[in-house]
Amino acid sequence: MFDRSTAPDPSEVLTILARAEPEAIRAEAEAILPALGDVEVLQSRTGLVMLPARDTVEGTEFHLGEVLVAEAHVRLSDGTEGYGMIVGRDLERAMAMALIDAALAAGVAAERLRGFVTRMGAAQADADRDTLRRVEATRVDMETF
Amino acid sequence: MAYVATRGGERAIEQAERLYRAQTGEIGADRVREIEAALPALVDRVMGEASLYAPDLAALALAQAGGDLYEALLLLRAWRTTQPRLQIAEVAEPDQGFTHRRISAAFKDIPGGQILGPTLDYSHRLLATEVLEGTPFRPDPVEPAERRAPPRHTALADWQKAQGLVADRPRRPVDREDIPDLTREPLLFPAKRAHTLQSLARAETGGTLALGYSAMRGYGSAHPTVNELRLSEVEVTVRHPNGTPFSAGRVKTSQAEVVTTKGKDGLRLGFCATLGWNEVKVISGATLDLNSPGAPANSPVNEEFFLYHTEPVESSGFCIHFKLPHYVTFQSALDSLRGAKAEKRSAERDEAARQPETTS
Repeated sequence: MFDRSTAPDPSEVLTILARAEPEAIRAEAEAILPALGDVEVLQSRTGLVMLPARDTVEGTEFHLGEVLVAEAHVRLSDGTEGYGMIVGRDLERAMAMALIDAALAAGVAAERLRGFVTRMGAAQADADRDTLRRVEATRVDMETF
Repeated sequence: MAYVATRGGERAIEQAERLYRAQTGEIGADRVREIEAALPALVDRVMGEASLYAPDLAALALAQAGGDLYEALLLLRAWRTTQPRLQIAEVAEPDQGFTHRRISAAFKDIPGGQILGPTLDYSHRLLATEVLEGTPFRPDPVEPAERRAPPRHTALADWQKAQGLVADRPRRPVDREDIPDLTREPLLFPAKRAHTLQSLARAETGGTLALGYSAMRGYGSAHPTVNELRLSEVEVTVRHPNGTPFSAGRVKTSQAEVVTTKGKDGLRLGFCATLGWNEVKVISGATLDLNSPGAPANSPVNEEFFLYHTEPVESSGFCIHFKLPHYVTFQSALDSLRGAKAEKRSAERDEAARQPETTS
């Protein structure tokens, strides 16, 4: 979904980080951790996000149900904050995302992290493409069905 | 209701639970992972009814309840109350999900085409008994197409509105904090549409099917045709503290529109959606939604009737509470019955005593 030539915007970067492969994002966060200095953990918890949807008949917004998420919020010694939220209850993944977000905001390991985000984004686009090619294989033409 | 307290039964209660749990034995992380991987349809059904999207917890609840769906739901609904609500996500628009399956039984040529997706709809249903003889059942892998399917499709209802086939009602946008929420307020009738749709989203599948099926068989006024059935993964779009929206991940959702030609001004539609992939529930739920306007009281398609009777924790809880000691209430009813009988006998005796006088 992110197969584009331009650099991803902040919203896309966060989306890519939230979906990043768990082992890869953990390793990346560990690698940049020494360069971040002291990190204050403001929040590390699981919780719920209510997901509303829209009905196609009357356009009514309604609540579909709640999604379990893990959330992390950190602050660096210079005051820069980082935030992570991922679907599921993997607190380490959320923390890794928050640390990388803080590093990106503070300009720490910027080159390295841009590369990481680009790699993860490309892998996710590949995975989506593979899924959609398998889905496409199930297309039917009702005239000849 | 009057119950008696259970005294002196601690040991019996403890041993009864042990006897129950002896059936399933030790539960480890491997078993939970296996349930999640092997039974996605069941895990999805439980997540929808629990109104909590957490596949690993749903699998754990199933393992712990030994597959008793109502016990599993109770565990999940109870666990949910221990968690803080962190945010309300952006509204998942019906045409923005990453679509895996999207079909219409009413129109064969729909924009974007008919995509069967993962389904057994047109498959032979044969039990693979050879598995029990030691020959594993190995499904053939999908042969991917050269090109990819479009990730998103317009909602068929939007296409029909554009064609003038369906009445297009003006939208009244609501701030997401103000969307009515059944987890915070009671269900009152006539129900707000947001409450009806939320209640159907968390309704029990079997109950929704039973009542929806009654409408399909003729106890409703409108026969449904599936206008659109869709299985997707939708983005859970949350906000960074600095205000930037982003997706925290995707969750599986199902949605169905059913259509009838019995409309005053064109086609009339019913809608239902739920967390997880559960087609029977959304088709049945949409059929109930289609039939509910103007339905007579006490009919299965009356919204009060179907919403109250498909709430899984309340209905199963009420059913199984009848197993608990009711000695006081039952004794009281029995006393009334005996009293009435004694009065009747006494009246008969009085009548019999009077009779010689009246006939003489």
